[in-house]
Amino acid sequence: MSFTVERGDLFGLLGPNGAGKTTMIKILTTLLLPTAGSARVLGFDVRRQARRIRGRVGYVFGGDRGLYDRLSALDNLRYFADLYRVAPRDRRARIDSLLELVELKGRERERVETYSRGMKQRLHIARGLLHDPEILFLDEPTIGLDPLGARELRETIAALHEAGKTILLTTHYMYEADALCERIAVIANGSFVATGTPADLKAVVGDNTIVEIETFGIREETIERLRKIPGVKGVGVETRDQAQVLLVQSAVGADVVRALLNELADVVTGKVVTREPTLEDAYVELVRSA
Amino acid sequence: MIPAILTGVRLHMKQASRNPFDLSGVIVWPILYASIAYYLLDAKNEPRLLLSASLGAAVMLMWSMVVIASSGALEQQRWQGTLELVVAAPTPLTAVIGPICIAGALVGAYAIGATLIWGALLFDVPVRVEQPLAFAVAIPACALAIGMLGLIMAATFVLYRASFHLGIAMQYPVWIVSGLLVPISFLPSFVRPLSWVLAPTWGFRAIQEAALGGTPWPDIGMCLVLSLVYLAIGGSCLIAFEYIARARGSLRLT
Repeated sequence: MSFTVERGDLFGLLGPNGAGKTTMIKILTTLLLPTAGSARVLGFDVRRQARRIRGRVGYVFGGDRGLYDRLSALDNLRYFADLYRVAPRDRRARIDSLLELVELKGRERERVETYSRGMKQRLHIARGLLHDPEILFLDEPTIGLDPLGARELRETIAALHEAGKTILLTTHYMYEADALCERIAVIANGSFVATGTPADLKAVVGDNTIVEIETFGIREETIERLRKIPGVKGVGVETRDQAQVLLVQSAVGADVVRALLNELADVVTGKVVTREPTLEDAYVELVRSA
Repeated sequence: MIPAILTGVRLHMKQASRNPFDLSGVIVWPILYASIAYYLLDAKNEPRLLLSASLGAAVMLMWSMVVIASSGALEQQRWQGTLELVVAAPTPLTAVIGPICIAGALVGAYAIGATLIWGALLFDVPVRVEQPLAFAVAIPACALAIGMLGLIMAATFVLYRASFHLGIAMQYPVWIVSGLLVPISFLPSFVRPLSWVLAPTWGFRAIQEAALGGTPWPDIGMCLVLSLVYLAIGGSCLIAFEYIARARGSLRLT
């Protein structure tokens, strides 16, 4: 597995659970040692020059852990500012500007245990930026956030990127990766299966049309029959609540909907949608074929 | 590094003071230990022996505070997910873990005073210090040495997930070997060299000699020498154990 992230890039790392995304980030932030191979961050070796890397990178993970809950946000930031050797004369101004950035100004003296998940996540971002790191590692930063909180956090990430920060992001949300990342790598089964811009990855299924059919209680043999319909390039199934949603790839211009519905005559079906492929379709295709 | 140490001590004390369980322990334990000191020895008519037992109980409490503070705090850091973040910081781990131990020792120093006051109020234990200056120096010297011994133990807590249980298990052996429960002369001869390398042995002797009249300064000196030795050993262990924890991936609990 080999990849390079250029300065100023917002690089996305995608992959299913257990693919090794967090392990990769922990190796790059020097929290884990690689069992084989080598990695360099800003030219420094993660195995032998860990301390030189630590002062130059920031690490933020998702969820509400990683903070001293019984202390205030201000105390948390003061402590981490000292741990990251922010000069005492700059500390106050730096903390103030970050509190403004993450919109926690005015709430900084409240105990963290009283914060909502979104506020804690924004505080995490502020903590990760205290020492103005050259690279920011964001490991599923929007996980568990409500839609509004996630959107605000994405705006913060986009603003950091616009300001020139190099960011490595892992996420399970494809629209997030599509909206934020300049380049993306997809990991599956311990190796990269694709690397490129979101447009490059979408091109994997780019000459296809996606037909989404909501079904209830579909059998495997029926899916096999669908795969044999002329013009159908692939069929995937996603479970959404009680429904199994078929994601059928077909060549552009091939009218397969009628044939599909004929084969599904004895299956309870719901909504049928025909659309252009998304990054999620490309991701599913890449991971499946890995 | 100094600001990180000072802020660390202050915030770890602040964090502990906001935990009702920890707070109640700090209030109740001195009473408990004062009672142990009173009933341990049938010395109601021997005021010096009673004071000596009270001081022994107070140093026992200090050791407990350090070992529980360091092991409990590290376990809490794992649960909070902050252990990974403090390891990921450029500040050496000694300057992160050390303040936790020092904060525990400072609470322990308070506990010495509280144990003596409760002993005096509840059981008429005489609190008469022969050498006040030496006594005032002996308590912080003892706290520092015990705090630094806690640093060595804390290094193992970085490595092992069941750190709190290990900390609890380490209380009694050190009490016994350091002569806090029974005089060292009662212990088998092969145990005595172990007593000499343990800070509570010298810390207790320093405080006892200062309170009862004697030569506390060599014992205070031993506390300071041991503090430096413990710091060197603890610092080296932390570097080595951090490396092992990175290789094993054991910094995170979940």
